[in-house]
Amino acid sequence: MKNKIFILIIAAIFLAGILGSIYVMTRPHGSRVDIIQDGKILYSFDLSSAADRTIDIEYNGRINRVRLENGQIYVEEADCPDKICVKTGPLHSDGLPIVCLPNHLIIKFADKDNDGSTDADVG
Amino acid sequence: MTAAQMLMSDKGGENMNTHKLTRLALLTGTALILFAVEMQLPYPFPIPGIKPGLANIITVYAVYRYRAEEAAMVVFARIILASVFCGNISSLLYSVSGSVLCLAGMIPLKKFLDAEHIWFGSVIGAVLHNAGQLIAAFFLMGSSVLVYFPFLILSGCLAGGFTGLCAQLIVKYLGRFYG
Repeated sequence: MKNKIFILIIAAIFLAGILGSIYVMTRPHGSRVDIIQDGKILYSFDLSSAADRTIDIEYNGRINRVRLENGQIYVEEADCPDKICVKTGPLHSDGLPIVCLPNHLIIKFADKDNDGSTDADVG
Repeated sequence: MTAAQMLMSDKGGENMNTHKLTRLALLTGTALILFAVEMQLPYPFPIPGIKPGLANIITVYAVYRYRAEEAAMVVFARIILASVFCGNISSLLYSVSGSVLCLAGMIPLKKFLDAEHIWFGSVIGAVLHNAGQLIAAFFLMGSSVLVYFPFLILSGCLAGGFTGLCAQLIVKYLGRFYG
């Protein structure tokens, strides 16, 4: 009896996780991308129209080299130990922003309500 | 209770005796080794925070075999030493907030679980651990990390189930010797 209750609780938590993941992965996103450090937007681009370029973003002497190419954005090189941001590859889903925890860097699709803003670098 | 029994019992004397201190230190050392092994595993996920958490086998074992403060000592000694060894102080904050929440969930839950249901406490602990890390990430990085929560729940269920079953087996078989 006790076993059943426990399995049911875990199953409910697991199901919530699956549903949440599906929701996050399939959420529609625009083409605008924000590069955020410490909660501040450093750069903001429209991927469909932005020119190819490379940006170095520094944090305490460590660098993430962000590359914009053919309407895709990815981290080319990073000074962090885990390199999760490099392994993530090009940004393609709203659910999986490119994140570098050691360098406090996030690259993600912008929230819907910011989509109308101008195509300018912020900061 | 004779002195020998006091020494052999985990729940013995008010003060920590040498025997227990040695065992807790041994647990901390084992947890550090598991942590070091896990560091060498490749990391195929695009999301930070998804890992088997092998060192938490020791956490779960310590929670169920020792008193709350003793388990907490093992966990925090391991976290501090691990972050010194892997040279990443910023990860300390994530580990501490995760572990505090994890222990805060597992220790009260322990009263309701017998030796056959330790895995349940471990799953809850792992999910809480991931939630705690995410809360730390939220304060450091802003709200955009919150989209990870569903993935971390899934990872917590799987990792917590695995480490919990490992810990359950250890409690079961070591129990024969230390009963």
